Amino acid sequence: MISSKISRRYAKALFGIGREDGNYEAYGKCLQEFAHFCEKNEAFFKVISSKIFSTEERTKVLDTVLAKSDFPDVVKNFLRVLLDKDRIEAISAISEYYTKLTDEVSNITRANIITARPLQQDALEKLKQGLEKLTGKTVKAEVSQDDSLIGGVVVKIGDMVLDGSVRAQLEGLKESLKRGEYS
Amino acid sequence: MSREKGLSEILKEILLVVSTLVLVWIPSGLLWAAEHGGEAASHDGGGELKDLIARIINFGLMVIILFVVIRKSSMKDFFSSRREEIRRKLDELRKGKDEAESKVKELEQKLKAFEQEKQQILEQFKAEGLAEKERIIREAKERAQQILQQAEFTIQREMDAARARLRDEVAELATKKAEELISKHMTDKDQEHLVNEFIERVEKLH
Repeated sequence: MISSKISRRYAKALFGIGREDGNYEAYGKCLQEFAHFCEKNEAFFKVISSKIFSTEERTKVLDTVLAKSDFPDVVKNFLRVLLDKDRIEAISAISEYYTKLTDEVSNITRANIITARPLQQDALEKLKQGLEKLTGKTVKAEVSQDDSLIGGVVVKIGDMVLDGSVRAQLEGLKESLKRGEYS
Repeated sequence: MSREKGLSEILKEILLVVSTLVLVWIPSGLLWAAEHGGEAASHDGGGELKDLIARIINFGLMVIILFVVIRKSSMKDFFSSRREEIRRKLDELRKGKDEAESKVKELEQKLKAFEQEKQQILEQFKAEGLAEKERIIREAKERAQQILQQAEFTIQREMDAARARLRDEVAELATKKAEELISKHMTDKDQEHLVNEFIERVEKLH
């Protein structure tokens, strides 16, 4: 298990190069694409991250895949370095942190909006606007649905959680009843 | 033993005195009778004087003899020693009596002291018994109080716990029922209303 500190260090290194040559957003997309590819191709990921195989063997496998991609050389070399240093296992964490770094530079924040029922487009826009006003950043929303919320919406933005679900209100009511606030 | 011996000697001495007197008196009586009989015929006037002189001489002799006999005998010593002995015995008896009295007094004092000591011990035991009794009663009361307090505390705690369990159960049931009702009657309009409320709250946060 590679610590988040090491993952951040590698992400910062690549981000520094990207900032210098102005391609940090492209590098970020490539990292996301590769991390996504690894998630979908479990066998490939196991081969390149397993120490059962030699570094040369694993590099050959990686190179075969990278040869078919249009990733910039910087990204390809970065991935080779990760494999050589046995850090390729942390590609998802590195990609996530890289995205955070990119968002910070681009003044973007990501909001995870969980709703009990599908949101109307205008409601989603109004919510995004409200969140942008709240955070002072451009909000990129990822909407998902959870029926257990019963009604309402939950927004997770950074370390902040805004819970406007019926479930949360019912939980609050239950706790109040348990504390005897209504007796 | 010595006392019996002394008594027999005295008896002997008395017997000797009596026999001497008899021996003196008989001849003198015979003498007087002979003289009196002879003279009665010859002397009528001067016979009485002679009789008186004879009597006086007789008496004097008797006194001398008695004196000598008594002097020679140990009667005086006997009586003096007897008196000494009696005095000594009286002294001894007095001394014995005094000793006995002092011993009686001593014993009485000891008895009194024993009585006092007994009384003190009894009082001490009584006091200790009372103190012990009070201590036991006090401790029993304290223990009873503690048990009562503990019992009250336990009862209160159990009641609180039961009340809390009941409240939790009611809360769970009420929430569950509310959830069922809301889920059943929830519409898109309600959802829209809830989202709008949420947006308003988010905007207010700014």
